[in-house]
Amino acid sequence: MDGVSEASDAEFVHRVLAGDTEAYAGLVARYRDRLGRYAMRMLGNRADAEDALQETFVRAYRSLGRCTEPNRFGAWAFGILVNRCRTLGAQRGRRERLQIADEVALNRAADSADPVDRGALREVLNRALSRLAPHLREAFLLKFVEELSYEEMAAMTGASIPALKMRVSRGRAELRHLLSEIDDA
Amino acid sequence: MRDPDQTLDRAIQTLREPVEIGEAFDRRVMAEVAGGSAPRRPGPIGRAGRWLIQPHVVRVSPLVALAAAAALVVALLRPWERGVEPGAAATQATARSVASAAVPTRFMLVAPGASKVTLVGDFNDWSVDSTPLVNGVSGGLWTVTVPLPPGRYRYAFLVDGRTWRPDPGAPPALDDDFGRPNSVLTIGGS
Repeated sequence: MDGVSEASDAEFVHRVLAGDTEAYAGLVARYRDRLGRYAMRMLGNRADAEDALQETFVRAYRSLGRCTEPNRFGAWAFGILVNRCRTLGAQRGRRERLQIADEVALNRAADSADPVDRGALREVLNRALSRLAPHLREAFLLKFVEELSYEEMAAMTGASIPALKMRVSRGRAELRHLLSEIDDA
Repeated sequence: MRDPDQTLDRAIQTLREPVEIGEAFDRRVMAEVAGGSAPRRPGPIGRAGRWLIQPHVVRVSPLVALAAAAALVVALLRPWERGVEPGAAATQATARSVASAAVPTRFMLVAPGASKVTLVGDFNDWSVDSTPLVNGVSGGLWTVTVPLPPGRYRYAFLVDGRTWRPDPGAPPALDDDFGRPNSVLTIGGS
C-alpha cells in the first residue's frame, strides 16, 4: 500500500498510453519522494534535485512506450534519474549552499533529537558527500541509501558489477574518513 | 573520539530519511506533460522487439514435440565427436580441477608509519576489512598470503582506513575506472 492509489504501475502506464494523460499523475505521486531522495543526496540541493526529477518524469512520460516492464516503472524511471543527475551534476557542479560554519556540529547533531541539530547533521553530511567523486557518491548512495542490489545498480548505471563493488568500497572508505576528520576537528 | 563506523552508520541512517517533494511539484510536471507531445507508442519494430522478450505460450502438436526432443537428444550426444575415451574425459576433468586450484599469493607493502593495512580487490569484493596485512617483526613491512584461483585481479592496499595505494611492485590496472590507482595481478591457469 503506497497511500497514493491501489492501481499498479502497469495499469497507470497502460492508461497513459491509451491517452489518459492524467493517469500519469498517479505515477508521479507514487515515486516523486523516493526518487527525490536520491536526487537530493546526489546533487546536494533541492533546486537541482527538483530540476533533475522534473526532467526525469517528463522524459519518462515522452518515452513511456519504451518502458518494457510497465510494472517496474519506478525502477525504469530511477535509471533515467541516475543519468539526469550525472548530466546535471557535470553541467552545474554542486552549488555551494552549505552554510554551516561549525563542522564540529556533527558531534552535537548526531545524537540530538532537536530538528535544528538534525538539520546541521544533514548539512555536514551534504558537505562530506560533495567531496566524494561523483561516481563514488553515486555508487555509495545506490547501495547504502537506496539499498539496491549490484544487479540493479549495474542495470541502472551501465557499469560492471566488479567496478560497482570497487566504487562502493571506496566511497564508503572515503566517506568514513571524511566524517572522522570532521569528528576529530 | 568516536568510532568511525558508528559515525558512518548514523550518517547512512540520516541519508535514508525520507524527502518530501510536495504536490506543487506534481502540478509542474503535469503542466509540462500536458503541454508537450503525447508519449510515443512503440512502432512495429518496437512491438516486435517487445514480443521477442516477453514470454509466450507456444502450442505444438505431439509429433512436432517428438521431433524436437529427438533433435535435442542428438545434439546433446553429439555422435560426430568420436574418440574421447572415458579415461581421457576423467583426465581432462582432473586437469581442469588442478588448473582451477588456488595459488597461495603473497602481497606486501612497505608502510612504516601505518597502524593498519588491508588488502582490497576483486577477490574479496573490495571489502575494506576482510583481508588485513600483518606487520612484520622488523616493522614497516606488511604482508598477507591469499589463495587465489587462476585469473586476472585488480587490487590495492588501504592504509589506515583512508589512503588507497596501488602495489608499487605490480603494474597499474590500465582499464580501471577514472584512472584510480589500482594494481593488476594475473595468476596463470594452465
